[in-house]
Amino acid sequence: MTSHARNRRVIAATAGLAAVALVLTACSNNDDGGTDGSTSDSGDGSSLVIGTTDKVTTLDPAGSYDNGSFAVMNQVFPFLMNTPYGSPDVEPDIAESAEFTAPTEYTVKLKPGLKFANGHALTASDVKFTFDRQVKIKDDNGPSSLLYNLDTTDAVDDTTVVFHLLSPNDQVFPQILSSPAGPIVDEEVFSADALTSDDEIVSGNAFAGQYTITDYDFNNLIAYKANPDYQGVLGAPKTDVVNAKYYADSSNLKLDVQQGNIDVAFRSLTSTDIADLKTDDNVQVVDGPGGEIRYITFNFNTMPFGATTPEADATKALAVRSAVADLVDREAIAEQVYKGTYTPLYSYVPAGLTGAIEPLKDMYGDGDGGPDADKAKAALKDAGVETPVVLNLQYSSEHYGPSSADEYAQIKDQLEKDGLFTVNLQTTEWVQYSKDRTADVYPEYQLGWFPDYSDADNYLTPFFLKENFLANHYDNPAVNDMILAQATTVDPDARTGLIEDIQTAVAKDLSTVPLLQGAQVAVVGKDVDGAQDTLDASFKFRYAALSKS
Amino acid sequence: MTSTITGAPTGVAPGQPSPAPEARKKKQGGGLGGYLLVRFLLIFPTIFILVSTVFLLMRTTGDPITAALGGRLPADQLAERVHAAGYDRPLFTQYVEYMGQIARGDFGHTISDNRPVTEVLTTYGTATLELAFYALIVAFAIGIPLGRYAASRRDKGPDAGLRIGAVLAYATPVFFIGILLKLVFSVWLDWLPVAGRASTGAEIAMQHDGLQTGFYTIDAISTGNPQILRDVLEHAVLPAIALGLLTGGIFLRLVRTNVIGTLSTGYVEAARSRGVNERRLLRKHAWRPALVPIITVIGLQVALMLSGAVLTETTFEWKGLGFQLIQYVKARDYVAVQGMVVMLAVIVALTNFVVDIIAALVDPRIRF
Repeated sequence: MTSHARNRRVIAATAGLAAVALVLTACSNNDDGGTDGSTSDSGDGSSLVIGTTDKVTTLDPAGSYDNGSFAVMNQVFPFLMNTPYGSPDVEPDIAESAEFTAPTEYTVKLKPGLKFANGHALTASDVKFTFDRQVKIKDDNGPSSLLYNLDTTDAVDDTTVVFHLLSPNDQVFPQILSSPAGPIVDEEVFSADALTSDDEIVSGNAFAGQYTITDYDFNNLIAYKANPDYQGVLGAPKTDVVNAKYYADSSNLKLDVQQGNIDVAFRSLTSTDIADLKTDDNVQVVDGPGGEIRYITFNFNTMPFGATTPEADATKALAVRSAVADLVDREAIAEQVYKGTYTPLYSYVPAGLTGAIEPLKDMYGDGDGGPDADKAKAALKDAGVETPVVLNLQYSSEHYGPSSADEYAQIKDQLEKDGLFTVNLQTTEWVQYSKDRTADVYPEYQLGWFPDYSDADNYLTPFFLKENFLANHYDNPAVNDMILAQATTVDPDARTGLIEDIQTAVAKDLSTVPLLQGAQVAVVGKDVDGAQDTLDASFKFRYAALSKS
Repeated sequence: MTSTITGAPTGVAPGQPSPAPEARKKKQGGGLGGYLLVRFLLIFPTIFILVSTVFLLMRTTGDPITAALGGRLPADQLAERVHAAGYDRPLFTQYVEYMGQIARGDFGHTISDNRPVTEVLTTYGTATLELAFYALIVAFAIGIPLGRYAASRRDKGPDAGLRIGAVLAYATPVFFIGILLKLVFSVWLDWLPVAGRASTGAEIAMQHDGLQTGFYTIDAISTGNPQILRDVLEHAVLPAIALGLLTGGIFLRLVRTNVIGTLSTGYVEAARSRGVNERRLLRKHAWRPALVPIITVIGLQVALMLSGAVLTETTFEWKGLGFQLIQYVKARDYVAVQGMVVMLAVIVALTNFVVDIIAALVDPRIRF
């Protein structure tokens, strides 16, 4: 054998090894992208695999206040009150009844015979324990702040709980019971004064929701199994076994759902990926109303003609805000930047929630949601504002995603197109941004909001009371009074009327200019049903609604 | 902390007289035991400097609590947490305390998900080591035989082609190779999985029936189910190739250079003049000496591989230290980042020590 021949043999052996490895794997694959039924990602008819880029912080309801953790809690923990499929309004879940028995007493009667998956009885004592520990632990990452109106909790007997409230007739409190502060936990598994680890919760099988967790690998995999003991308003799951797979990269999530390796992709595919998947015959893109909103906030002190500027003039300042509202083309932003994953928002309460109306659609622009430069020009001229008005507009693509840069570039174009504004776009690192925006540094800036609970109050109280989280110096006593009134108005129709009035009043003042409402989007396989049922204004994605034919 | 031997060996050729024992001892500068002791002791100042540097670099951007939670908590609550964690104390006090914690093996708790950093390190470290192991196999399988072949075909077409290929392999960003591999083998051909370490079913089966060492290959074998092992190996193919190509290209160039160097040394020339054919010259005289420098380079390559693992793991959702490091960086969780960087630095330091031992055992000339 010659030297060349030997070398060729070495090369051939190397290449052969690589080829054999690839061929073996190629031959071993089946069409569904997995190796066989035992290892395939995609579930069979009685099981589903759901992919997500969510992150879980902790399974302990006292220690997390984020979408990823709450998504898990919604599957495995029971609530006293919950939103049935297709509704934003709460009803008793594992409760038999729930009502105000006195202005500051909210009494909940549990269904008899409730139990956790581990066999422990679920009684009023567990409910008291749940809320007492939330308040006691008061974890910085937890939702205890939502219990601001809760004074004490009493377990009267095994099935009766009385919540003593600080303010009377708090109509938001039932919603709070369905919020991240509301999952009921097992007092025999959870610690009373410290967070309980995920391992202890899972090994203690301390679940009483629609599903239990059978396998748990932190932010990698969660295996759910239907809980036959669940007696709540949501009913029995349509699928017995659901596995949730956690991704870091949305492109991998997209590829896996596209190739059928997973059955459902929910949160968060990019708008470009969703637009691409809409053209793919192998999957269905299903959407529903989302709770997230995006808006421009005006600082009433430092915006052009703001209260602390040398040229302070409230009328001119309002004209500037009105002109902005006249010029923005929400439809164009939603379609061109977000490919339909956001929809135009013409109010402060997003569509789908009880009491939501669209006052800005009529009041600004062309009266049908589109922009109107003439109207903007007239608003500025009538107020005596010289044009172009300079706006120093801040946004944060770090916090609100890279598409924010495109969104605000388009807003700049829209505002400048007719020569009424000169817009200086600026962006700042998020930590600094958060400090600056409440320190009157930014005259106009981008913000977003994701609700704590699906009630209009959550889009009004934090924003438009005199003391609000925007800290933008907006103060309208009439709006302030109406917000306080709606929170304690017992009659539902009267409360809805107040909520509508508040939206109309704030739309006249334009404390903020609402822009977009995020849609909830799920991408599912052709053989998956039920996604539409759970993409509702509760903003809770329930795996139990899904099934595979 | 690598030894200083690089390039072609220049030692005493076979058949030449050895120096006198005294002279050899003096030249070598001490025995193997002393050499290894020095190398071992050098680990500590190395790690000390690394840990100190990481600590100071992290603190130059402020305290970890503000970095992680700034903008999410009101100023008073933030200040309260900063105070509770002791980050408002003098930097030197924090440094001394941190070093004490490290000495006790306590890396603290992550801020974003409140997990012990040591748990994070052990959970995800196994995945990174497994990936590095597979990548090294790929690197050896590609670099060594092809380097030898290129040397034997010096300055001819195959040599030129392999040299260009090697440069491309280590000059192309790992994530780009990863995306290309996914596009071809996962999307177009649908031969291999897109991402992850195993399919969902396999992971659940390993959790129920496997040893749960964190090394999926071992866990898969322990289930006794060949389907699961195949699933795990399939998931490893693309990440291992993406990461291994980087090091494989370097190995290829190194082997080629060293073989060419040894083929032109005096003792090989002498053998050639005695009529030994080229194939035998390469196999018997030039090949093994050419491999010695590879051992020392492996130490450096482990560092390169770990940095490459950050990108590879992220591209392929291989949930190892590199993947998790990026997640914690995104969450501004500097306590976690600090612990992971220190751990990676320790792995590199220890790997270099092991490489030094192997190099010293293989080549008795390595004594300082």
